[in-house]
Amino acid sequence: METIEIDIRGQLCPATLLVALKEINARAALLRKGAAKLAFLIDNRDATGTIPESAANMGFAVTVERQDGWYRIEVSAPH
Amino acid sequence: MALSSQQQDPDLRQEVEELRRKHAAAMQYIRAKTDQLLTVMGTSPLRPEELDENTLIELDPIGIISDSFVQVLRHLKDTNEQLQVAHDEITAIFESAGMGILVVDPSLRVLAFNRKIEEQFGLGRDAAEGMICRDLLCRTVMDADCPALQAIATAKSVRREMDLSGRHVDTIATPILDKNGVISRVVLVYMDQTERIRAQDDLKKSEERYRDLFENSTDLIQIVDANGSIQYVNQAWRAALGYGPAEIAGMSIFDVVHPDCTDCGPEFKSIVCGHKGGRFETLFITKERETIAVEGSVSPMFEGGVFLGTRGIFRDITERKRAEAEAAAERERLAVTLRSIGDGVITTDIHGAVVLINKVAERLTGWRQEEARGRRINELFPLKDERTGEGIPCPVDRVLQTGAPCELEGNAILTGRDGRRHLITDSVAPILDRESSVIGAVLVFRDITERKKLEDRVNKTEKIESLGVLAGGIAHDFNNLLNSIIANIEIGLRFAGPDGEVQKSLARAQKASSRAKDLTQQLLTFSKGGAPVKKLASIADLIRDTADFGTRGTNVRCEYELAPNLWNAEIDEGQISQVIQNLVINAVEAMPQGGTIRIGAANRRFGRAEHPALAEGNYIAIVVRDHGKGIPREDLNRIFEPYFTTKPSGSGLGLATTYSIITRHGGAIDVESAVGTGSTFSLYLPASLADAPRPERPTGPLPHRETRGRILVMDDDELIRETAGVLLDLLGYDADLAPDGDRALDMYRRAQQAGAPYAAVIMDLTVPGGKGGKATIRQLLEIDPQAKAIVSSGYSTDAVMATYAQHGFAGIVVKPYTIEDLGAELQRVLGKN
Repeated sequence: METIEIDIRGQLCPATLLVALKEINARAALLRKGAAKLAFLIDNRDATGTIPESAANMGFAVTVERQDGWYRIEVSAPH
Repeated sequence: MALSSQQQDPDLRQEVEELRRKHAAAMQYIRAKTDQLLTVMGTSPLRPEELDENTLIELDPIGIISDSFVQVLRHLKDTNEQLQVAHDEITAIFESAGMGILVVDPSLRVLAFNRKIEEQFGLGRDAAEGMICRDLLCRTVMDADCPALQAIATAKSVRREMDLSGRHVDTIATPILDKNGVISRVVLVYMDQTERIRAQDDLKKSEERYRDLFENSTDLIQIVDANGSIQYVNQAWRAALGYGPAEIAGMSIFDVVHPDCTDCGPEFKSIVCGHKGGRFETLFITKERETIAVEGSVSPMFEGGVFLGTRGIFRDITERKRAEAEAAAERERLAVTLRSIGDGVITTDIHGAVVLINKVAERLTGWRQEEARGRRINELFPLKDERTGEGIPCPVDRVLQTGAPCELEGNAILTGRDGRRHLITDSVAPILDRESSVIGAVLVFRDITERKKLEDRVNKTEKIESLGVLAGGIAHDFNNLLNSIIANIEIGLRFAGPDGEVQKSLARAQKASSRAKDLTQQLLTFSKGGAPVKKLASIADLIRDTADFGTRGTNVRCEYELAPNLWNAEIDEGQISQVIQNLVINAVEAMPQGGTIRIGAANRRFGRAEHPALAEGNYIAIVVRDHGKGIPREDLNRIFEPYFTTKPSGSGLGLATTYSIITRHGGAIDVESAVGTGSTFSLYLPASLADAPRPERPTGPLPHRETRGRILVMDDDELIRETAGVLLDLLGYDADLAPDGDRALDMYRRAQQAGAPYAAVIMDLTVPGGKGGKATIRQLLEIDPQAKAIVSSGYSTDAVMATYAQHGFAGIVVKPYTIEDLGAELQRVLGKN
């Protein structure tokens, strides 16, 4: 399965969320089929709450991993 | 340029201002809507410094969020669909579950229940919803026992077994929490255990019933596993083998099976293989090492094709075996007893069919047990009346009909299968069972043919004995008369002279008297069988005289082969003469067509055990041989029996008398005979090497009278006395006469005192009503120990006659005696001095 990594570190929260949503929307079909998953690299702490909640509302599975000074959020097909 | 145009045109300026204001408002609107949407999405509003207007337009947050909403809505729809499916599934489960499910709110108000609840508790759906569950189901249950309340109180699942509406119910109450952790409802599941418990109870009862059956069974029941370990045995088994319940565990069937049971190994293998499970007998050993016999069956137990072990049911048959053995022994004993009984025994069943027949009955009827069994008794046992020859009905039938025993005495003749006839007596008794019903009959009978013959013979003997007594009595008297007749004829002869008719007639009378004398002797011997009065005699003369006499007047003649130097013998001439006469008469009768009797006599010496009946010594052998019809073999050993005769007119005494005379002489008699060739009788008499006296035969006129001495004659018979007196006178003696012993003693004493003693005393042995010679001799010898007494009697039965010397007599004269007899004996007695 392909993992599409999107580095949006350096952006503020709402914008981070919007960027993440835009990427999810664009690849929704792929994700639902389980053909790919998205990995967002972020450094905005607020976005670790907003991105997983929004992705879960859309029915995706989300994991958050804390890295050194940033976060990796993976969004994949629902279980 | 734009600046310039603003400057150029105030209107334009104003329009620009207007446009600026509208743009700002539009941007404000977009920013506000974006923030609203972001808030809906759950994030904070955009800060103005975060996105400038251009970026805002370029980024198109509203578009992004709208797209995201599409995703959210799609997800919600999926979720709803899944929820609907789940709901449908739960509803299906809810309704179709095998247990009752009830949903209540925390105040126990009924929210929902399934169909099973309706069935279990008979609830109507309309009536029940909204009611409090306790009012519907378990009105009496206390709060502490209510699972729903307990679940609410503890916020945990609670399980209770309860009796609801007559049913035993296992109830589980599970609280359901809302998202705030508050109990919103309680799900109650009711599992009806009534059937299961009833089934358990039934199973338990069934088990108890079977256990009861097994434990109370009198049969020995065992279950043994594949290795032979005992798994279960019942009470009867333990009792029979003497083990307690605790001892069974760890025991093997091989501890119990007797090592002598050689069949058990193969039998067990056969059962293990599932081949066989039939009945068989074996031996068990008890704890006390006693052997018991059991009979029963063993069958294999399989589960899924695997051999688990065997089950066996046995019965203790030790007692039965013992009883059977005892019964068999009893039967054997009875059979042996019956077969050994001297009487014939036949038992029948109620129909008169033969059940048992013993050996004697087999012999008498001629039917063997194997052939007789089952046949009608009448067939085996045909009876006829001895006198009339008519059939006699079988007494068994009568006994079977009447049930009363009966006896048949005397005259029944049983004709055996071989045609032989048996005179029988029988008795028949019914065989009764415990209820005294007749179940058969037992016939006991005896062959009395021989007994009857014996009785007849005894009767005959008695008859002859009484005849003998009569004859003996007559002979005694006749003898005395004859004595006088003979003596007087002799006297007459002496006076008659040698010639003339008187002499001839007296001689004839003498001869006839002599015959009469022989006859009386024979009569006396027949009647009394007297002991021989032995005298030394010459056998040859005796044989010749007697045999010639016996064949006189017949067509039989005698040829003699008598050895010249034949020894003499001490014999009773009268008796031996009778023996020769009997043999000769028999020989004559055996040759009705006439013929020759060869009579031989020779000296014979027998060594030890050379002849079975004779002691070692010298004998005179006399052989009388005829060539007559002979004696059948079966009669040979009976001819000497008294009263055995094959002649229609025979007394059966001739040979018997012969036998007894010879044996009394210390001799023996043998016979050889063959039918058609004749008979040979051989007599052996002990020989005496002394010379026989040759009696003087005085002839002619009496010698010159001279007194030879005084003789005292004692006899109660006056005629005898007188005749004796004359004879003594003729012989030259002086005779005195006395009628009895007392007188004789008196006379003897007086004569002695007078100095003229008697030379001899002749005494009659018996004096009826007075003192005879037997009693007198002792006293006489007391008076004169040298006294010479001669005993005189017609009876030679008295032992005194045979052994006169032992009684003190010096001599003997047998009445009737001739003058020569008397003279010779006196000479002998007196000459001894």
